[in-house]
Amino acid sequence: MIEFDGVSLRLGEFCLQEVSLHIGRGEYFFIIGPSGAGKTVLLEAIAGLHSPDEGRILLRHDDVRNTPPEERRISLMYQDYSLFPHMTVEENIAFGLKMQQVPPEKAQGRVRGIMERFGITSLAHRLPRTMSGGEQQRVALARALVVEPDVLLLDEPLAALDPLTRDFFILELARICEEYGLTVVHVSHSREEALRLATRVAVIIDGRLVTEGTREEIFSAPPFREVARFVGMENIIDGAVESVADGYVMIRSGDCLLRAPDRGFKEGDQVAACVRAHEIRLSPNPPPAGWEENVLAGRILSMLSDGAMVRMTLKTPFFPVIADVHRSKVIRHGLAEGMEVFLWCPPDAVVAASLMHGDESAS
Amino acid sequence: MRGDQSWWRGYRSSHRLPDACLISFGLTGSLIVILTVLAILSLAVPEFGDLPHLVQVATQERVVDSIILTMGAGLNAVLILLLFGIPLAYVLARVNFRGKGIVESLVDLPLMLPHTIAGIMVYLLFMERGVLGAPLASAGIFFEDAYAGIVAAMVFVSSPYLINSVREGFENVPLHIENVARTLGASRFQAFTRVVLPLSVRHIYSGAILAWGRAIGEFAAIIMIAYYPMVISTVIYYTFTTHGIRESRSVAFVFLIVCLAVFGLLRFLTRFMGKYDDRI
Repeated sequence: MIEFDGVSLRLGEFCLQEVSLHIGRGEYFFIIGPSGAGKTVLLEAIAGLHSPDEGRILLRHDDVRNTPPEERRISLMYQDYSLFPHMTVEENIAFGLKMQQVPPEKAQGRVRGIMERFGITSLAHRLPRTMSGGEQQRVALARALVVEPDVLLLDEPLAALDPLTRDFFILELARICEEYGLTVVHVSHSREEALRLATRVAVIIDGRLVTEGTREEIFSAPPFREVARFVGMENIIDGAVESVADGYVMIRSGDCLLRAPDRGFKEGDQVAACVRAHEIRLSPNPPPAGWEENVLAGRILSMLSDGAMVRMTLKTPFFPVIADVHRSKVIRHGLAEGMEVFLWCPPDAVVAASLMHGDESAS
Repeated sequence: MRGDQSWWRGYRSSHRLPDACLISFGLTGSLIVILTVLAILSLAVPEFGDLPHLVQVATQERVVDSIILTMGAGLNAVLILLLFGIPLAYVLARVNFRGKGIVESLVDLPLMLPHTIAGIMVYLLFMERGVLGAPLASAGIFFEDAYAGIVAAMVFVSSPYLINSVREGFENVPLHIENVARTLGASRFQAFTRVVLPLSVRHIYSGAILAWGRAIGEFAAIIMIAYYPMVISTVIYYTFTTHGIRESRSVAFVFLIVCLAVFGLLRFLTRFMGKYDDRI
C-alpha cells in the first residue's frame, strides 16, 4: 500500500535520511521515536505535504511525486485535532465531502451516518472550542473517515487525552480501523499505544529508520541498544562478547559476566545486555540451587512504590540496577533501603543488542 | 489580636494595593496621550469659538470635494493593496525561499524612507517617461497631476501596513489546519479561501484600516506626482501658505472630525470581525 524507497528529505535543519519501508494494506503500522526524530515529517511526506529530495514514495504501487495531497485518498489527524474553529461540527465533517464535490444530499446522508456512528449527533451545531478533548477527538476522527480514505495517518492522536479517555479510545481506534479495513500509520511516543494497537512497528531516531518489525520483535528483543533504551528497557549494560556457545553468548562488562541468547554475534563484538526491570529477581537469600549465571550481589539504594509494584534502585560492584518487585515480596522479605540482597535474572530474559552504526565510537 | 488580623485580611481583599510599577508606567505613558489631547484641543478650541467661520469653511465645495477625493483615493489604494498584498503576505507567511529577507526588507522600505524620497521614486516610476508611466500613458492612463498618481503614491507608502498585518494573520493560522484541509480534498487555493482567509479576517481588516489611514494622511509623496487634483493634505498646506493659519486650521479641524468619525466607526466594527481569529 505504502512504500518508501530510499527517501531523503531536508527541512531546514532537519533531515530524513534514506528511509525505506513497506506498509501493507490493512496494517496498523506504528512509528515510534523520540521527539524531533522525524516521525511527523515522515507522516506528512506520505500525505504529500513534503516532497522527497531523493528516493520515491509509492502509493498503491504508483510513484506519487506529482500527486498533490488532495488526490491521495489519505486522511491525516494531528494531536491537536486541527478542527476548523470557524465551522460547526457538522460543517467540519462535511468539509471533505464538499471539497470532493459529493452531491449535497448524498453528503448530508454520509455526515449524519458517521455522526450517529460516533455518537456525536447532539454536537452537530456546536463549535469546536465549546467541546472537550474527547469530543473533539471523535469529531476529528469522523471528519477523517467520512471521506472514505484508503490510509489514515495519525499523529499522536491520543496524547492530549486524560488516561481514562485514552484507554477508551485505544479500544475504539482498534475497533474502527478493523471495521473500516483501513491501513493506518500511527506516530507516537507511547509504547503502551504501540503495544496495544500495532501490527508492525518502526523505530525512527534522528531522521533514520533504525529498525522495523512486529511489536513482539521490537519490544521484547530490540536489535539495537538505542531502540532498547527507547522501548523502555531499564537496564542497559555495555560490554563485549567474550564467548559464544550453545546458542548463548557471554557478555563481559568489566569484571561481570552476563549470559544471553545469541543473535549471531561473534567474539569481541561490542554489545549491550538489556534487561527489563520486572525480569530482575531479588532476595536477601542467595538464589535457589542451580542458578549460577547472571547473579549479582547488591544493596538497595532507593524504593519507590507504584501501586502493586515497588521500583528499586540497587548498587552492585559493577553497575547500577533497576528492579521492579511486587509489593507482597517486599513485605514477605522485609526489603528496605540499605539492605544487602542478591539479584539475578534468567539468561533468556537478557537481550543482547548491537550498537547502532555510529554508536561504536561513543562507547 | 485575632480580630486585628481578620480586619487586615478583609481590608486587603477589598482594597487591592496599587502596583507601583504599573502606576509609574501609566504616568509615563500618559504623556503621549496628553500630547495628542493637547494638540486636538489647540485645534478645536479656537474653532468652537468661531463656529460660523468653521461652518463656512466646512461647506466650501473645494474642501468637501477634496475630502471625498482623499477618502476615495485611499479606498482605491487599499483595494489594490488587498488584491496584490494578500497573495504576497501568504507567500511570506508560508514559504521559505532564498532571498526572502530581501523581499521582506523591500516590503518594509516605505516605512523607513523619508516620504519625499518615496514621492520621487513614485514620480520617476510613473511619470510619462517612466518605466511604468510610459507604457501606461500610451494606454491612456496618466499619473502626473492625475487621480491615478495619487492612488499610486498612496499604495506605495501604505503597503507595509497592510502586508505585515495580513501576514501576521496568516502566520497565526496553524499550518496543521491547512494541511488537514488539503488531505480532506481541498486544493491549496481552496484551503486558503475556505480556511486560512476566514481565520485571518480580523488581521486583514485591521491592516486595511491602518493602510487606509496611512494613505489618506500622505502628503509629501503625493504632491511630487500629483499636486492636482488636491488631496486634503495639499489643500491644508495650500490654504496655510496663501490664506494663513486661521483658514487652514478650520480645514484641518473639519478633516480631523471626519477622520475621527470614520475610523471610530471602523474600529467599532472590528469587534464583529473575525471572531475566531484569537481562538485558533
